[in-house]
Amino acid sequence: MVRLITHNLLACHVKRCTTNNFPLQLKDVQLALREAEFNADFLRGFMPRLEWTALVQAACQVGDDSLPLEAPEMVDDEFLKNLHHVLLEIHIEEGAMVCPNCQHVYPISNGIPNMLLAENEIG
Amino acid sequence: MSTKVTATVVDSDPSLYEENHVHQVYDQIASHFSATRYKPWPIIAAFLSSLPPGSVGLDSGTGNGKYLPLPIERPGSVWTIGLDRSRNLLRAARTAGQSTREVVWGDVLGKSWRDGAFDYAISIATIHHLATPKRRMDAVQRLFECVSPTHGRVLIYVWAIEQDAQSKRQIPTSTDQSALGQDVFVPWVLTSQTAPRKPNRQHVRDEADLAVDTQPVEPQTFNRYYHMFAEGELDELVRCAAVNLGLAVGASETDADAGIEIVQRGWERSNHYVEVRRWRRA
Repeated sequence: MVRLITHNLLACHVKRCTTNNFPLQLKDVQLALREAEFNADFLRGFMPRLEWTALVQAACQVGDDSLPLEAPEMVDDEFLKNLHHVLLEIHIEEGAMVCPNCQHVYPISNGIPNMLLAENEIG
Repeated sequence: MSTKVTATVVDSDPSLYEENHVHQVYDQIASHFSATRYKPWPIIAAFLSSLPPGSVGLDSGTGNGKYLPLPIERPGSVWTIGLDRSRNLLRAARTAGQSTREVVWGDVLGKSWRDGAFDYAISIATIHHLATPKRRMDAVQRLFECVSPTHGRVLIYVWAIEQDAQSKRQIPTSTDQSALGQDVFVPWVLTSQTAPRKPNRQHVRDEADLAVDTQPVEPQTFNRYYHMFAEGELDELVRCAAVNLGLAVGASETDADAGIEIVQRGWERSNHYVEVRRWRRA
């Protein structure tokens, strides 16, 4: 599946595409919402590892504007619920991720992103 | 039909060789293979149980995703993302443990992550499918690069020449078992109950064709390529990968600014394993 937790970690890896290769831009997405088990410990621990701006931008691309533009210093339950929903309950089933730098297109099909490159594209 | 392990030589372009003798094989045997791989190995389970809540990691070569639901005693407190080359195995991985998992179709030699994105990475029974020493070392480098430079942990398992006494495998001894390891083919037999039926429905012309289609399928043997590791070979690979990345090898008390420390290493159930931690001087 591609949820935004994974999107926040992925970067373009085409040969010589090493700057401005993150975050990949979501395009033509078809979404499915599925409930996931809420785990506050996970969310609190993972927060510092997130690229926050990329997450907020990706959430907007899939139609969710519940997150603040900057990561809050103090986290409350309502914030954690929103973060949980954005990271783990929005599934991108179909669509594509496009590199902002080299425009390489990584397709998403049946919920699985295709990050394979041709041998001559690998750095 | 033989189930014996036989010596082989990588005699063509290594990526093409892997495509023919690893990727295509796993795509064809995926459902049968997946049904036989469900028990986590203890050292790997213990590694995943030792991770603090909030950790995010990569299972590079996840196969059917059997490690994605762990740690079993506190599910959801860490997230492991599964990467594999076989799309058919990923189909199983994405619902491993009766829950929805995160899986990515990709190559272990790819670098499709922002640098240092993960807290940990595991590579279980994967690197031994790469067909040259250089490609195996590149795969280790990718693991080191994808974890945090300050605290990232990496656990690697590869198949050993030295086999468990209970292993039914007969290992070819024809060649010199030096520190270079041994390239072999390991057969996988799909029996009539498990072989995929030929997708020839659209070509059915009459009843006779249908009858052929329902005959028991002959057992099919698929040869998977493995590089069996010699004692010490995995440690050397890890050392070389670290040096290539400008990382010192040893505890953080050394003079270097950044490095890797080997936390544990050993041999378990016909496999060599090593656990590494990255460190950087504050």
